[in-house]
Amino acid sequence: MSFFSDHPRSRWVLPVAAVGVIGATALTVNQAASADSGLPARTAAQLLADVRSANVSSLSGTVVQTSDLGLPDLPGIGGSGALGSASSSLTSLVSGTHTWRIWLDGPTRQRLALIGANGESDVIHNGSDIWLWSSADKTAVHHRQDTTGARAGSTGTKLPSGVPGALPSGAPRTPDEAAAAALALMGKDTSVTTSGTASIAGRSAYELVLTPKDRSTLVGAVRIAIDSQEHVPLRVQVYSTKLTNPAFEVGFTAVDFATPDVRQFAFTPPAGTTVTESDRPTAPKGGAGTNPAPGEPSAPSLPTMPGAPKVTGSGWSTVVVAPFTLPKPTSGSGTAAGSAAQLTGLLKALPTASGTWGSGHVLQGTLFSVVLTDDGRVAVGAVPADLLYAALATK
Amino acid sequence: MSAAEPTLADDRGTAARRDSAPISRRPSSRLLRSELRLIAGRRRNQMGLLVLAAVPVLIAVAVRISSPRQGRGPDFVSSITSNGLFVPLAALSVELGLFLPLAIAMLAGDAVAGEANLGTLRYLLTVPVGRTRLLVTKYASLVIGALWGVAVVVLAGAAAGVALFGTGPMLTLSGTEISFGSAVWRVVLVGLYVAVGLAALAAVGLFISTLTEQPLAATVALMIFTILSWIADSVPQISWLHPWLLVDQWMAFGDLLRDPPFWDNIAQGLRVDLAYAVVFGLLAWARFAGKDITS
Repeated sequence: MSFFSDHPRSRWVLPVAAVGVIGATALTVNQAASADSGLPARTAAQLLADVRSANVSSLSGTVVQTSDLGLPDLPGIGGSGALGSASSSLTSLVSGTHTWRIWLDGPTRQRLALIGANGESDVIHNGSDIWLWSSADKTAVHHRQDTTGARAGSTGTKLPSGVPGALPSGAPRTPDEAAAAALALMGKDTSVTTSGTASIAGRSAYELVLTPKDRSTLVGAVRIAIDSQEHVPLRVQVYSTKLTNPAFEVGFTAVDFATPDVRQFAFTPPAGTTVTESDRPTAPKGGAGTNPAPGEPSAPSLPTMPGAPKVTGSGWSTVVVAPFTLPKPTSGSGTAAGSAAQLTGLLKALPTASGTWGSGHVLQGTLFSVVLTDDGRVAVGAVPADLLYAALATK
Repeated sequence: MSAAEPTLADDRGTAARRDSAPISRRPSSRLLRSELRLIAGRRRNQMGLLVLAAVPVLIAVAVRISSPRQGRGPDFVSSITSNGLFVPLAALSVELGLFLPLAIAMLAGDAVAGEANLGTLRYLLTVPVGRTRLLVTKYASLVIGALWGVAVVVLAGAAAGVALFGTGPMLTLSGTEISFGSAVWRVVLVGLYVAVGLAALAAVGLFISTLTEQPLAATVALMIFTILSWIADSVPQISWLHPWLLVDQWMAFGDLLRDPPFWDNIAQGLRVDLAYAVVFGLLAWARFAGKDITS
């Protein structure tokens, strides 16, 4: 005390020091501790084998997904805005930051909860029942499926294969799913390396780096972090050549491989809930059933695409050109018509371009580009727009 | 308070005289009790508590008269009719924007700047307790004030809600129902979480209060701080700043109403609260301990 009495100004050192300590702590915690963690070195091939042999049937955890796909900001599509009601909707996965909680217990019980600021959407699969719950409008959709479990086992992975078909989005939702899709894309077009270890959700993990050999693609690299003990992918990052931070990232912030409590999978529609019984296991809000591979996110699934698509290029720089007509805003009802109108408005707001290939609207994302021509064609690819123009020009 | 103790005088002068007995090492709560008595006795604070209590009653009556439209606004409001305990939650989410920070700003403005303005700070400093302990006492009284304000909102809301809507099971955001008993605990946790955030704001207010001798200036400055924080938190273009804002996770108390509760954002909010309380508490200490008391 007497020191501070003699040197009154020295008191200010303490708050300044507190700011320094807090700032330093926050920064070091946020940095992925990528120092060597004493793990034995493993080659890329060994890691891939590990992933294939991974046998994890139950886990619970929190997944955070961030994306910076370079899409235009639109009310209703945005992610983590202050108007939180939108961000817990299952249709809002396109941009921003999203938090999931997942619980898995074998092929018959899965639950996935999308955490919004003031709400929550849940997909609960328990035996023959699939429930979709939305806290925003207090609705529950109920699907029944055969108890043979054909759906759950069909994709070959142990991880949440019961839920994906119900979710309308082209984006992979779990690290496992994203890694499986990325691994499927590999081959002669990709160089696969390892880059040391990382610490994710408090667990040590190996990092697998997939780099496209093709320099013309927008995808810079895909980094997959694989748990060193359970061999489950814990995080997938997709880097764009346009950004330094990952353009797309999905990873666990907390994970526990113990079997979750059975209570997590019980769902009874509470009183006052609107319950819709659905016999067909399809998405409630006009979503696509299948799941496009990353690096090749397809066009929004709402427009109808008559005719066969034409594919040019190969590997990472594949370009797909397809005939394309906008849905009529008046067709359908309810949310479908609203989505169609919103999509039309979105297209009108895109910048226009023209050239020898014609003219149309251009979307230049960080991982993919889309050109919609005025004569009714769409070109999509994980490449800059110039290559799309070239593909459109070669009719 | 034991019966043998003399009753405390409301007046600072006599309180100072009583305390000028030989200093005992035993920590005494007398200074704190005198401080709380001052806070509770101020007419403006009593009126403020009435306003805080009026909001949940207003919400409950309004919802009772006309059912809320489904799917609009925070998800709490449309759930009120099923369980009365949603009334305090809806009231907290409404009052956390302005009224509760305003209450803290009033108390913090009075804490040091108000005493300096009235000229009573001089007398207070003649009490043989150190300035550090005086400041800690002031902060403790602000924290108790924060708890007090939140408790009034929660209790008034729970009373009005239970009276009008009964004690049904509570619907969590995850779509499950929990019993009234465990719902009470969730609401208590929500109240404590909100109070911790307000206590951190009180540290900021205490620091501002040591900078000026005008209580109104301190109150207005803290409100500006709060509202600027809310505005910055709602601008997505500066999302890198959001984790550092005091108010960023204040509304995360809704995560306690999931099944099971989701702790990540709550923990982040508590960390930010603690950081603000430590930094601004030390700033207030550095300023107040070396400050010249001129009035």
